[in-house]
Amino acid sequence: MTSSVVTSSVATQPVVTQPRIGVDLVPLSRVRELLDPGIGGIGPVLARFLSAEELTGSLTPDGAPDQAGIAGRLAAKEAVFKLLGAVGRPVPWQGIEVLRGPGGRPGVRLSGHAAELARTAGLGPIDVSISHDGGFAIAVAAAATTTSLDHRL
Amino acid sequence: MSSAGIDSKGIDKVRDWILGRHPERTELAADVDLIESRLVDSLAFVELVYTIEDAAGIEVDFESIDIEDFQTLATIEKAFFA
Repeated sequence: MTSSVVTSSVATQPVVTQPRIGVDLVPLSRVRELLDPGIGGIGPVLARFLSAEELTGSLTPDGAPDQAGIAGRLAAKEAVFKLLGAVGRPVPWQGIEVLRGPGGRPGVRLSGHAAELARTAGLGPIDVSISHDGGFAIAVAAAATTTSLDHRL
Repeated sequence: MSSAGIDSKGIDKVRDWILGRHPERTELAADVDLIESRLVDSLAFVELVYTIEDAAGIEVDFESIDIEDFQTLATIEKAFFA
């Protein structure tokens, strides 16, 4: 994929826009581990990964944990984290929310430390795609990042 | 909250938890890098923090974690069980 160079009307240095992607895979068996011991269907450890809104959206219509949906959410969070370029830090699970957007597409909402990392990385809007099959969930996250040409490696 | 007794030190609980996840290993030296050795991945890291909290009877603020405290059993012991 080619990069595009644009000149900001504010910045004095030209900036380059580059794509950045992240991917992650989560086995549903890991979700089952996190659900045990379950309290009200959701384990206390799993609540460390998911926000209250995500937890609400991670139940099947009969109120049971949606294991595939949870695995997809966790994979998407980690995929988004890989966009942030934050080496040597734990994933800010609560600060990367993966929520159901218009038409059922997953949407990403960043807050706190994750939002700061995204700003530092110069990330634009983030898109994610999630798929499940064969006991696994996979997610890809993509965004454009703008960096000043004089800071390129 | 768990109490740390003479024959079940908190760090031993952490070691046992890691070894329990890796039945191919029978021992874990204090200086083994848990993350570089892939003994603890990003999902297991949260479980590791939960295990340390339970063993040490403390609460860890996830937002202000210093990853170096969790690098090895030795650094975990120094940070949470010293």
